[in-house]
Amino acid sequence: VLVLLVTAVFGSQFPRIHIDTDPENMLEADQPDRVVYNLTKREFGIHDMIVLGITDEEGVFRPETLARVERIVEGILRIRGVITDDVISLTTTDDVKSEAGLLDVRRIMEAVPTDDAGALSIRDAIEANPLLSEKIASRDGKGIAIYVPIERKDQAHRVGNEIETIVSAELAEGQAFHLAGLPVAEDTFGVEMFQQMGRMAPLTGLVILLLLWVLFRRLALVIPSMVVAMFSVVWGMGLLVGTGATVHIMSSMIPVFLMPIAVLDSVHILSEFYDRYPHIRDRRETLRQSMESLFTPLLYTSVTSAVGFGSLMLAPIPPVRVFGGFVAFGIMSAWLLTITVIPASIMLIREERLKATLRDGEQPQGVLGRLLSSFGRGVLARRRTIAVAGLVLLAVGVFGVSRIVVNDNPVNWFAEGHRLRIADREMNRLFGGTYMAYLVLEGEDAGVIKDPEVLSYVAELQRILKKDPVVGKTSSLADIVAQVGTVLHDGDPAYRVIPANPEELGQYLFLFEMSGDPGDLDNFVDYDYRYTNVWVQMKRGDNKDMMRVEESLAAFMDQHPPPDGITVRWSGLTYINKVWQELMVVGMRNAILGGFAAVFLLMVILFRSPLLGLISMLPLTFAIVLSYGLVGLVGKDYDMPIAVCSSLALGLSIDFAIHFVQRFRSQLAAGADAEAANRYVFREPARAIARNALVIIVGFLPMVLATLTPYKTVGAFFALLMTFSVMTTLGLLPGFLYTTAGRFFRPATGLVPDPRNGDNQ
Amino acid sequence: MNRAIVCSFAILMALICMPGPGAGAEEPSATDVATRSLEAFYYPGDDMRTRVTMVLVNAQGKKRVRELTLLRKNFGTEGDQRYFIFFHAPADVKGTTFMVWKNPAKEDDRWIFIPSVNLVRRIAANDKRSSFVGSDFTYEDVSGRDVNDENHQILRTEEMNGRSCFVLESTPRAGADYARRVSWIDTERWVPLREEYFDVRGEKVRVFTAGAVEEIGGHWTVSKRTMANLQTGHSTEVTFENMTYNVGLKDDLFTERYLRQPPRKWIQ
Repeated sequence: VLVLLVTAVFGSQFPRIHIDTDPENMLEADQPDRVVYNLTKREFGIHDMIVLGITDEEGVFRPETLARVERIVEGILRIRGVITDDVISLTTTDDVKSEAGLLDVRRIMEAVPTDDAGALSIRDAIEANPLLSEKIASRDGKGIAIYVPIERKDQAHRVGNEIETIVSAELAEGQAFHLAGLPVAEDTFGVEMFQQMGRMAPLTGLVILLLLWVLFRRLALVIPSMVVAMFSVVWGMGLLVGTGATVHIMSSMIPVFLMPIAVLDSVHILSEFYDRYPHIRDRRETLRQSMESLFTPLLYTSVTSAVGFGSLMLAPIPPVRVFGGFVAFGIMSAWLLTITVIPASIMLIREERLKATLRDGEQPQGVLGRLLSSFGRGVLARRRTIAVAGLVLLAVGVFGVSRIVVNDNPVNWFAEGHRLRIADREMNRLFGGTYMAYLVLEGEDAGVIKDPEVLSYVAELQRILKKDPVVGKTSSLADIVAQVGTVLHDGDPAYRVIPANPEELGQYLFLFEMSGDPGDLDNFVDYDYRYTNVWVQMKRGDNKDMMRVEESLAAFMDQHPPPDGITVRWSGLTYINKVWQELMVVGMRNAILGGFAAVFLLMVILFRSPLLGLISMLPLTFAIVLSYGLVGLVGKDYDMPIAVCSSLALGLSIDFAIHFVQRFRSQLAAGADAEAANRYVFREPARAIARNALVIIVGFLPMVLATLTPYKTVGAFFALLMTFSVMTTLGLLPGFLYTTAGRFFRPATGLVPDPRNGDNQ
Repeated sequence: MNRAIVCSFAILMALICMPGPGAGAEEPSATDVATRSLEAFYYPGDDMRTRVTMVLVNAQGKKRVRELTLLRKNFGTEGDQRYFIFFHAPADVKGTTFMVWKNPAKEDDRWIFIPSVNLVRRIAANDKRSSFVGSDFTYEDVSGRDVNDENHQILRTEEMNGRSCFVLESTPRAGADYARRVSWIDTERWVPLREEYFDVRGEKVRVFTAGAVEEIGGHWTVSKRTMANLQTGHSTEVTFENMTYNVGLKDDLFTERYLRQPPRKWIQ
């Protein structure tokens, strides 16, 4: 009843759930780069933007298609929440043409042209204006873009849907549209995350339930295990939501993680009980014996798992901290629930029914048991070969780890073939690049940006940036000044330069201010002309691309420092993503090292022997090195989900070793020799370990079917980790334990009788 | 179109000859109110000279200040006007001049002189709803529109800033960037004290407010005015100083020659 009550309290928090998909939140609110980014956005009036791309196989610049585009823009201007004044499109944005002393300021498309020639002249005009080309229309004339700034990010979903309705009603055959822009991506991600959470958690539950049923054949015992799992999920998630933490991509995976882990302890108890019961044939006595031998390992496995996840709380990335903390809490909840609920539910089953079930269930256990026993004898006999093979594998793993490429790109969190991935690819093929980074130049006094020397330097930086193929387009105040100069001189390209005379430069800017809307320059320069912003559009948002661009610019700036008093800083979302990823790599390494030390310490305390502690760390070390080695060898990017897995591995792959070593040791303590102890651990304990590994591996596999890649990655990677872990535990540990049995056991002789002096069993 | 303007001037003359509403006459029609308001706001005097301080305020509350001298002269009886603008500040643009010939029936003619390159350029733009020298006011807000461009309707009479006002709703006849505007027009002085512009979505997007109204040379004049863009958070505040009507500006002042060599007499 108490358990139900607590569960109800935690469960009641669910309606307050708050989803967070903003990649900025990967950084602390006061992280310096994030502060600069917020300042940049505010200072330069940068709104969240939905980008609509429209493509036509036969070319957009035909009267009929342009008429459709005009109607689409009209429709968009009627959508609530759109900042209509700032919509950038063929019919809302001005172009200035010049001819024989006349500056002609008109909409890019003043009216829908009546013939093809008129339509094509619009395309040529866009191409001739560097401020518009690759922004409003693609070079090949097959795509146009409409930029729709929105008042608030939380309206992105509705505005996006309304745009979609308008566009789908308007487009004909051969025409397609793509919606891109961060608000759309975030929004879609939030929706899908919710769906995945709703789909994956029950699916995992179902798979585990089925598996447990196959293993134990007794619904009355399997159901309580599942109840324990579900309750721990409710406790963990309830506390998370209740404390006001937001559900991020990581924390949305908490249920899927907790479920298999929560089932582990139950499986150990059930497995032990099932194996002992046929001999003892009394449920109370069997339970007492099982719990006696299991209590310590269960406590330690839970604590180590919790420590593994808890080590994530050392990470500098808030969502990862939240994830680690609440999984750790869930694990300890699961432990508490398991050691109370499971024995209680066993006691509730009538003795006769238990006897009946266990006779039925003997067959499959027999197969598994025989297999494991002979495996146990085999690995002991070939312990040297195995140790050498293990070392070789470990070396390969280390080599693999050294080849790991650290990289992430939030768009890749959507599976290949997702409409957003397609939109991303198409839009970046057609236009200047959807990945925004900003290069902010800051002077000491107001007005310094109007200094010709400063703007010339900006132009120079842009030239360097454009050398990198990933940089599609850059725009700055320097471009605007050069464009005004050109237009003012009847389009003479000789004037596409930064004027050396400060007054001339100032008057060019003034002319631009005068001929446009009040906010036209805002994106590029602040009102005091103290900061200026260079827009760097990139065609890929991979962190390694951003890093390369950043490094090549830094190298140039080392050689050619900026004018006196000018500082140059990066900002923008693509840069922010790179920053948190760097933090994550370092943070995760520290977290895992810290966790490793903590677990090792726990092992030394548990076994009261540094040597045994070291041996028990072997499966964990192997699992992590081999799994990450594989990541490096197959060339998969080390991204956020992969990084997070390391700490999970820490907590979980030690479990098997704890059970194995603890049971081996207690056998020795009870007077068995090493060979006998080995025979023993390959009976019940090995069966429990094998069952558990199976539960986790299979339990995580459904995640591979998810549509979001972080789920897929975690699912597959986890199965891999567990496989390595169980293989090392069962394959490598016996040899080491056997060889060192005499050495590690001697210090403990004060407490337990020396097996050499005792009777042979 | 021309006939319409002539027509509206005829109505105007009739109105001026009529006793004011205080004399117990019938309530004026919506079109009468609109016509008198346009006349009082955009056409007072034969000509006018003033020093203008224009403060642009962006959403972050930062300001850009422009100082200019504004000369205006009415031409003919069909609503033609010419404007001459000399920029004093910011310092790096001092000497830049700008001229607008307002042609009610067709595109305005605009010229700009850029002193640093000694170039005069004519600017062609058919959009009177575009920003006036980068401010939140449009050309139309500065130089007025024709009474027949919109349908007018008096919604009610109410007090605004302690003044009795007609609340007039005007709906453009042809497509415009606003769907409807509501103005509060002083029932005695005929100047607008407030205007609200609504877009096709029914959202209020721009608000004009009269900050100060003074009587200058017998004309009630809004000497301080603000236009705020509610969508972008941007606003422009304009203050007229040393305003004088009927100073005797010559016609040839509004030509390209004077753009290059601004008349010292009028520019201080």
